[in-house]
Amino acid sequence: MTWNNHPLPLSRREALVRTGMGLGWLGAASLLQPESASAASVAATAMAPRPPHFPARARAVIHIFANGGPSHLDTFDRKVSLEQYAGREIPNKLATERQTGAALPSPFAFARHGESGLEVSELFPHVARHADRLLVVRSMHADVPNHEPSLMLMNCGDPRLVRPSAGAWVTYGLGTENQNLPGFVAMCPGGYPIKDTENWRNAFLPGAYQGTYIDTKKTRVEDLVEYVRHPVLDRDTQRRQLDLTATLDRRHLEARQHDPQLEARLASMELAWRMQSEATEAFDVSREPQHVLDRYGDDVQGRQMLIARRLVERGVRYVQLWHGAGQPWDSHEHIEKNHRQLAGECDRAIGALLDDLVGLGLLDTTLVLWGGEFGRTPTVELPTAGTDVKEPSGRDHNHHGFTVWMAGGGVKAGTVYGATDELGFKAVEKPVHVHDLQATMLHLLGLDHTKLTYRHSGRDFRLTDVHGRVITDWLA
Amino acid sequence: MIGFAAVATAAEATSQEHEALFESRVRPLLAAKCQSCHGDKVAEAGLRLDSRRSLLTGSDSGPVLVPGEAATSKLLLAVRQTGDLAMPPDEKLSPEEIATLETWVTAGAPWSGPGGDDDASPPTPAATMDERLATSLKNHWAFTPPGRHPAPDLPAAFDPSLKGAWSAATIDRFVGARLADAQLQPSPEATARDLFRRLSFDLTGLPPSADEADAFCAAAAGGPAATDAAFRVAVDRLLASREHAEHWGRKWLDLARYADTMGYVIGDADNRYPFAWTYRDWVIDALQRDLPYDRFVTLQLAADRIEPPVPRSDLAALGFLTVGRTFLGNAHDIIDDRIDLVTRGLLGLTVACARCHDHKYEPVTAADYYALHGIFASCAIPKELPIVGDSPPGPEAEAFTAKLAELEAAVTTHETAVYARAIREAVAHAADYFFETARPTPRAADNRLPALADGYELEQFLLDPLKELLDKAEPSHPILGAWAAARGTPDTEVVAVLTAVRNAWGQSPDPAVVNPLVLQELLSAQPTTLRQLAEAYARLVARVAPEAAGGPAAQAEEPAELAALRALVGAEGTPLVVARGRAMKVATRDERAERQKRKKAVAAHRNEAAGSPLRAMVLLDNSPVDSHVFLRGNPGKPGEKVERRLPKLLGGAAVARDSSGRLDLARAIVAPTNPLAPRMIVNWAWTHHMGRGLVDTPGDLGLRGELPTHPHLLDDLARRFVDEGQWSLRWLHREIVTSRVWRQSSVIRDDLADRDPDNRLFGRANRRRLDWEAWRDSMLAAAGTLDLAHRGGRGIDPLAEAAMNTRSVYGRLDRQNVPGILRIFDIANPDTAVHVRTKTTVPQQSLAVLNAPLVVAAARQVATRVDHEIGDTSKNDVRIVALWRAVLARSPSGDEQAAAATWLAEETPRDESDQATFTRWDRLAQALLATAEFQFVD
Repeated sequence: MTWNNHPLPLSRREALVRTGMGLGWLGAASLLQPESASAASVAATAMAPRPPHFPARARAVIHIFANGGPSHLDTFDRKVSLEQYAGREIPNKLATERQTGAALPSPFAFARHGESGLEVSELFPHVARHADRLLVVRSMHADVPNHEPSLMLMNCGDPRLVRPSAGAWVTYGLGTENQNLPGFVAMCPGGYPIKDTENWRNAFLPGAYQGTYIDTKKTRVEDLVEYVRHPVLDRDTQRRQLDLTATLDRRHLEARQHDPQLEARLASMELAWRMQSEATEAFDVSREPQHVLDRYGDDVQGRQMLIARRLVERGVRYVQLWHGAGQPWDSHEHIEKNHRQLAGECDRAIGALLDDLVGLGLLDTTLVLWGGEFGRTPTVELPTAGTDVKEPSGRDHNHHGFTVWMAGGGVKAGTVYGATDELGFKAVEKPVHVHDLQATMLHLLGLDHTKLTYRHSGRDFRLTDVHGRVITDWLA
Repeated sequence: MIGFAAVATAAEATSQEHEALFESRVRPLLAAKCQSCHGDKVAEAGLRLDSRRSLLTGSDSGPVLVPGEAATSKLLLAVRQTGDLAMPPDEKLSPEEIATLETWVTAGAPWSGPGGDDDASPPTPAATMDERLATSLKNHWAFTPPGRHPAPDLPAAFDPSLKGAWSAATIDRFVGARLADAQLQPSPEATARDLFRRLSFDLTGLPPSADEADAFCAAAAGGPAATDAAFRVAVDRLLASREHAEHWGRKWLDLARYADTMGYVIGDADNRYPFAWTYRDWVIDALQRDLPYDRFVTLQLAADRIEPPVPRSDLAALGFLTVGRTFLGNAHDIIDDRIDLVTRGLLGLTVACARCHDHKYEPVTAADYYALHGIFASCAIPKELPIVGDSPPGPEAEAFTAKLAELEAAVTTHETAVYARAIREAVAHAADYFFETARPTPRAADNRLPALADGYELEQFLLDPLKELLDKAEPSHPILGAWAAARGTPDTEVVAVLTAVRNAWGQSPDPAVVNPLVLQELLSAQPTTLRQLAEAYARLVARVAPEAAGGPAAQAEEPAELAALRALVGAEGTPLVVARGRAMKVATRDERAERQKRKKAVAAHRNEAAGSPLRAMVLLDNSPVDSHVFLRGNPGKPGEKVERRLPKLLGGAAVARDSSGRLDLARAIVAPTNPLAPRMIVNWAWTHHMGRGLVDTPGDLGLRGELPTHPHLLDDLARRFVDEGQWSLRWLHREIVTSRVWRQSSVIRDDLADRDPDNRLFGRANRRRLDWEAWRDSMLAAAGTLDLAHRGGRGIDPLAEAAMNTRSVYGRLDRQNVPGILRIFDIANPDTAVHVRTKTTVPQQSLAVLNAPLVVAAARQVATRVDHEIGDTSKNDVRIVALWRAVLARSPSGDEQAAAATWLAEETPRDESDQATFTRWDRLAQALLATAEFQFVD
């Protein structure tokens, strides 16, 4: 895959100070705008596409975030042994957020799928159709059994400190291919997940790299995308208004000779104009034929998966889809009912998304990642005083071992990597830390996680801090 | 050679293999992966991996290698990363590399050549932190005290038309001479209109009015001397204005990572800082007073420690330390944030890296960091913030007091009701409590007490003291004796036991042996089971229960037996009659929630109601403590304890033992001998005035920061700022903006573009886009809605149409939820000290210019204002001129006027249609607000 060389997002001076990108990167950029960069100015738009460090396998990411912590044991990591221990204490119980008791076998039936024979529970029949396209990582582990730090770790690479999110890092490193759309979109229906906008923040990176939040519960396009339409004017009238501004601006610019900063500003007005129509178009799923809408399902998950596909089709770099506000997958109680409902809400749409990415030939270059901030315990959670729950019926958080799956973007298909222990509590075989997942994701995008840095507070920061290793076994 | 090899002994062969292994695989591995942190430059944890001897000696915590023992050698444990210690920290060694080290250690860790046991030359010792400190103190430009430097004379080749003007001020001579060295000429002075507009934005963040600009241009028409005089008058007027303090106050708030919320909090807890704005207003006020910078800083770090005490309004300065993020209450992260604020923010030195280990390149140790940690660990925010100002007396203040009393009474009323309910129910279930102490119900896994048939759940909090009382009572107890005798027996024997007790008491028992009330109750009840006995005791409890629990009214004088019973089980504070103050312990969830709600209402009223007293977000001293170094930043691994002191780089002096030491820290920062603080602030001001710093990394003056482009100028200005200017920021601003360097045109000449594209030599001014605040304020100014008298106090919503009278600096900022439009326009990240904002150009900015409701509202107001001002709206050309002057502070040129007139003519028919709610005049106003000219300053 090749991309054109494009100017830097920051002024050359700022780039020299801030980025740890190699000289080649800077050199290429300098060639394109040798003499024109004015001092305090910005040479080009922050989102202009930039070449990766090395040839990339993936050019876009769709991260389906099952926030709250889906149970690996009820979805993609079957543990027959749990049935033997049903209702009894298990030998290797580990500390989690709350007290847990006896082993809780999965109430869901598992079956093997595809040539790979991947075991998937009845919760995800549509995902299971794609069994031979999945790389299922069963040996994920994180640091602590609490939502907030685990969300921060998964999204920003540090459990507590203020660090940029993965999407911000990726758009900082690569820009985005469609200047008429945001490069990093975070969709969550009905509000924010916990930790709010921190999940897609830019932190100390420039503001342009923050994820653009879209509340996909809303259906009208002008409600979805901020400032996409003038509150009063129709398109023609606004165009004539913009033409007058452009006339005055050109006069202004001529009087000031060449100033790349002013030129960029003039260009960005036209970009914004085009963005209005393109963004409106991209987010408007009603333009899809009925049979497509039917495949995704006429509901909020169907709508946001479909928007994700439309965005990636149009060159958006990083799309994150959250299941819902708060922490929907957090089934401390009634896991059977709750997980069934949650999976029921999204399975069909995920299956349709994968179908379409395959059909459009996009899956090869689009990394789809599904997972939560952690998994759940093989043991049943004991009700705590003060709750209304009388019967133990759910699972606690489990950061010791959990599952994520990936598809496309150059990962090995139809593969299971790593394993938890016999009862599914802890990652024991080829354990993968969240930093390793992040390092490998960046690698798939053609970025070296140790070189994608930003100078801040006198130090070069990176997504994986001082950790992370690329797991070459995942590469197709 | 072949002959020798053929007869070599087995031992020799092994030795050669060892040498090959070591030289070809082990030495390169150690060099590539280990020695950057464990070598001759740096020896982290006291460990060096560049000689066999030092490996055997090991680290601060002992040997890391036992020859032949790969399984137990710490070196191998570390690289396998199976335990706590994981090395190298950034990327694990490959399995092959780990295997190499295993083979090598198993073979006895043979080491040939340099660094081996036979190597006679002693290893060069690693530079200690003390040596690094000494070296950098001597060699690094920013660590040596700034001195005066004579300003150079301008050379003959200097542009003669400018030479006169540029020969006076020292700033101009430093910059001019440097330009001349590079064979570049400076730019001529900007046009009078550009100059005045730039000055207005630079000093106040607001555009000039057209009339003011015209007046300046008229004065400037009198020639260079007249321009200069008018310019200086304008500088002084603007520097003294409140608007100047607001504009530069906002820049300081960036550095102070100001926001009005604490960041993420769990659940629906309130994350607001209700009084952060008192700090914001203090900053603006201090700048308007031109408080000397040393005093300005000292107050922000230690206003509470200064003797004689400062006016209480100055306590608001301490918000500097406390308006940061709260990291879900993690004390170490909060302290880290404060350390970074004080060191990087005020000194341009990155110290926070030393949280985990000695700094990799700055002469700052982990001990330095934890010495500062102790200072902040010795401080806390008080539960109730001190009042630093009253709202003015009057109906608002009276209404506040009355409402406060009402809300507080509502809390008390609720608590009283909960108390009554709790003891009434406890007394009503006294029999169940008694019974439970003797015959406990089996508990569920969560250990909760089961609910009774009527839904009541016994309270563990009441049960425990009752059980304690009953269990320790002896059968001889005059009140509890019967219970004590019977509590352990099965129901089949209860009658027998009670009969025995009754017999033991005798026919006419002494009241000292058995309380007559008890006797009476037992005789009448004749209990045959423990349950019945419990019910009998419950009736006794009810006889002495407080009125609130449905007991009889208290009597002034009561018989001794009743008094004794009351003292044991009926008075407040006895097991079932919880003390009033602890009633919430037995409140239901709903009751607790209701109380929380009422208390929140009190807090909200105190914090937010008009007429409430103003409070300061202070940090005060706690009991002084010293901190331990946390190994690798982990509080679970405390190392040596460090006494509170200044960083070695600032002299390392101990701070006061009887206080936190904040005042000593503050004094050291603004000490005349501190080389960093004056350079930081002078460079900071220069950066904001010129669009580029003399040091291009204003937050990093350390070893990895940029070098100054004009070191003598920076040092001389820093020195003069302290000596001549007496730390006056107003002096500093005046020095900079009255310089000829500042007054240059921003036109990018071809030769400058070619030879100094980044304008490092300041051969022209830098054209700049307005930041978010100035852009919004300019729209409000054009709209005529801005009311400069409306300032201070609780923050406004900057996007609300109702707030279009208020400057952006008074906006409320939720750091957890920064509106997209503010981010897009590059406001400072409120989570870290920001010296200068990043600047980006993204189309979303233009999208906001085209469509944001704020812009549309402003456009309407511009048109309305203009029509109002001109009165007669019948003449298009008059209206056009007035629009231009309102938005761009100048009259239109002839062709601009013509273009607008033509455009208007074409638009006229549209106004008959559905676009009429945004008329062609509104649209013309928005077209002007959308111009580059409006948003950029030449």
